[in-house]
Amino acid sequence: MTRRDDAHDDPDLDLRLERVVAAPVQRLWAAWTTPEHLTKWFAPRPFTTTECEVELRPGGVFRTAMRSPTGGRSTSAGCYLEIVEHTRLVWTTVLGRAFRPAIRSPGRPMTVVVSFEPDGAGTRYSLLAMHGDPAARQRHLDQGFREGWGTALNQLEALLA
Amino acid sequence: MPKRSAPVDVVFHALADPTRRAVIERLGRGPAPTRELARHFDMALPSFAQHLEVLARGGLVTSHKQGRVRTYHLVPAQLEVAEDWMEAQRAVWEQRLDQFDAYVTQEDGP
Repeated sequence: MTRRDDAHDDPDLDLRLERVVAAPVQRLWAAWTTPEHLTKWFAPRPFTTTECEVELRPGGVFRTAMRSPTGGRSTSAGCYLEIVEHTRLVWTTVLGRAFRPAIRSPGRPMTVVVSFEPDGAGTRYSLLAMHGDPAARQRHLDQGFREGWGTALNQLEALLA
Repeated sequence: MPKRSAPVDVVFHALADPTRRAVIERLGRGPAPTRELARHFDMALPSFAQHLEVLARGGLVTSHKQGRVRTYHLVPAQLEVAEDWMEAQRAVWEQRLDQFDAYVTQEDGP
């Protein structure tokens, strides 16, 4: 697909997923931008989305809270950077409401770009999740292993959320 | 549709259950026989054995039998698969998008 991302993909740091789905772009857009719809699909099962806040404007908040099957709660919060209806949605967890730097952002920092493009009767969409430096990632892995399996599993639960 | 990384998939399935996660935590403290593991859970032994089987299929545990006693061990390397951060991120997004695709194409979707 033609990409208009200003950022270049970095295979060590970024994930890109591309899919074609048999639904019009309006429905996809609604599912990505409306709490009522987001709560139905956003949490990777068996996690469930218990709260969802969407202020659909640049600088507006995008926040979700999830519950694990064992009752654990985790939140992810950030702000929208760019909103082009039916075309492109960008948010980051590095910043909070009105672009204020998020000092204690839950989870790990990332910026996500979702792009949509009509494809016949359906829609092609791509998701790009951009992360920080690989050294931090490796440190995180090394630590996890020294601290034992209990910690590793807690981290895994946090990642799954 | 992009293919998911198979080992991660199977590991995440194995871990997507509180009983199985509790077994992993217990085995993290050392090997244990089936009956001792089962004692901590309020469920019939056959159901519990199924959970152990899922963990074994995911490569997260192995077992050996001595006489009538089967003892389970944790396989750390396989847990490492799930711990790799980028792979974990990918698995989460893949699952999310699976759910998204199913939701936007269903009758009572958006």
